[in-house]
Amino acid sequence: MKILVAEDDSVSRKMLQKTLRQAGYEVIAVEDGERALKALRGEEAPRLALLDWIMPGKDGVSVCRAVREPSEHPYTYLILLSSKESKAEIVEGLESGADDYLTKPFDVEELKARLRAGERILELEDRLVEARESMRFRATHDLLTSLWNRGVILELVSREIQRSFRENSCTVVMMLDIDHFKGVNDQHGHATGDEVLREVARRLQHSVRSYDMVGRYGGEEFLVVLNRCDPSSALARGDNLRTAISRRPFQALGKTLEITVSVGLARSCDYQNCSVDRIIQAADTALYAAKDAGRNCVRLSRPEGEIVSLERAEQRLSASRM
Amino acid sequence: MANGNRRLDWDKKELMERLDGDHEFMCELLLIFREDSQSNLERARRAVRERDLPTLMRAAHTLKGMLRNLAMNGAAEMALAVETASRQGKEEEAAASLADLEHAVKNLLSEVDAHLAEVKA
Repeated sequence: MKILVAEDDSVSRKMLQKTLRQAGYEVIAVEDGERALKALRGEEAPRLALLDWIMPGKDGVSVCRAVREPSEHPYTYLILLSSKESKAEIVEGLESGADDYLTKPFDVEELKARLRAGERILELEDRLVEARESMRFRATHDLLTSLWNRGVILELVSREIQRSFRENSCTVVMMLDIDHFKGVNDQHGHATGDEVLREVARRLQHSVRSYDMVGRYGGEEFLVVLNRCDPSSALARGDNLRTAISRRPFQALGKTLEITVSVGLARSCDYQNCSVDRIIQAADTALYAAKDAGRNCVRLSRPEGEIVSLERAEQRLSASRM
Repeated sequence: MANGNRRLDWDKKELMERLDGDHEFMCELLLIFREDSQSNLERARRAVRERDLPTLMRAAHTLKGMLRNLAMNGAAEMALAVETASRQGKEEEAAASLADLEHAVKNLLSEVDAHLAEVKA
């Protein structure tokens, strides 16, 4: 474990360094408060620190205060070193954010024991952060597929659509539904069905850009949000996702399955300043149109109620070029 | 008031215990002490000349820590006297205590040199 020693007296610094190295610590020794703060705020900063109270420039108490300012850094356990006359100031030290203090010259065993206490606090902190992160993940993700859950993807789609209105860009909302999924469950069992859902999620995630968003909308329905998308390529992007599923058969629990999806989309630029619900509804209508057209295909909803297929859009494009 | 006759009170035995009997490390520390005690005394003297009590206080504090760590307890008390007087704004008292301290460190340094020579031999 790394430890920072900030001490301007070179003899004390040397003795601390040696004692701590022998105790198995990786020691970073500095001689003033500025350097201490720099080390504690740098990359891979030590999380244990022994700070001398009185140092040139920034003293130990100022370093404690600065370290305790809100930041992204994990908790640092700070021990102030003071001489025995300044016991009256210990309250000030602890109020400034120090976790503990030691009077000099200190007893080696006491020093080691106090450092072990610090390490226990840091371990506890790590476990709490880990638990918090795991709770956060569970609250925002679908547990089966690890995609964003319904609540989060709806929030994200709303945020992206509002942004595209502001920035005059285009967000594409895509609704995907696995074709004949009930049949997979009925024929092969729910465990296989779950495996299919996971594989669809993986393939979708791999087929979008890192800043696009994929969520599980419901049972076998997925919602994909493509932000800052060229409106003329929306159908082609939808078709990419469709073929990412249909191109290769699925291997699920020893079975080989042909899986396809139907895709419905709507573009925010067609619905300037409409409600988010209206746009999601439009993508859903397009999805139903894709199902009606025989599944394993892509459809786009236009505001006038028109449904456009990839082929139609391409025909129109080449006609407009003629 | 120079305290030349007072026993300087360098508890080598205590220091040796603190260092787990590591003679080599002790010599290393003494070499550092020889250098840094001088630079800190120089800083303190300059502070007295410039009537800069905060700097004098810090220099004395550093010296006190160094002396205590090396179990040079008598001199450490003198450094404490300089530190306390300068903290309290007692300029003359601080300057007088510094003179005591300088004298004590001078004596300690000859003891340190004797020790180093003894080890070398």
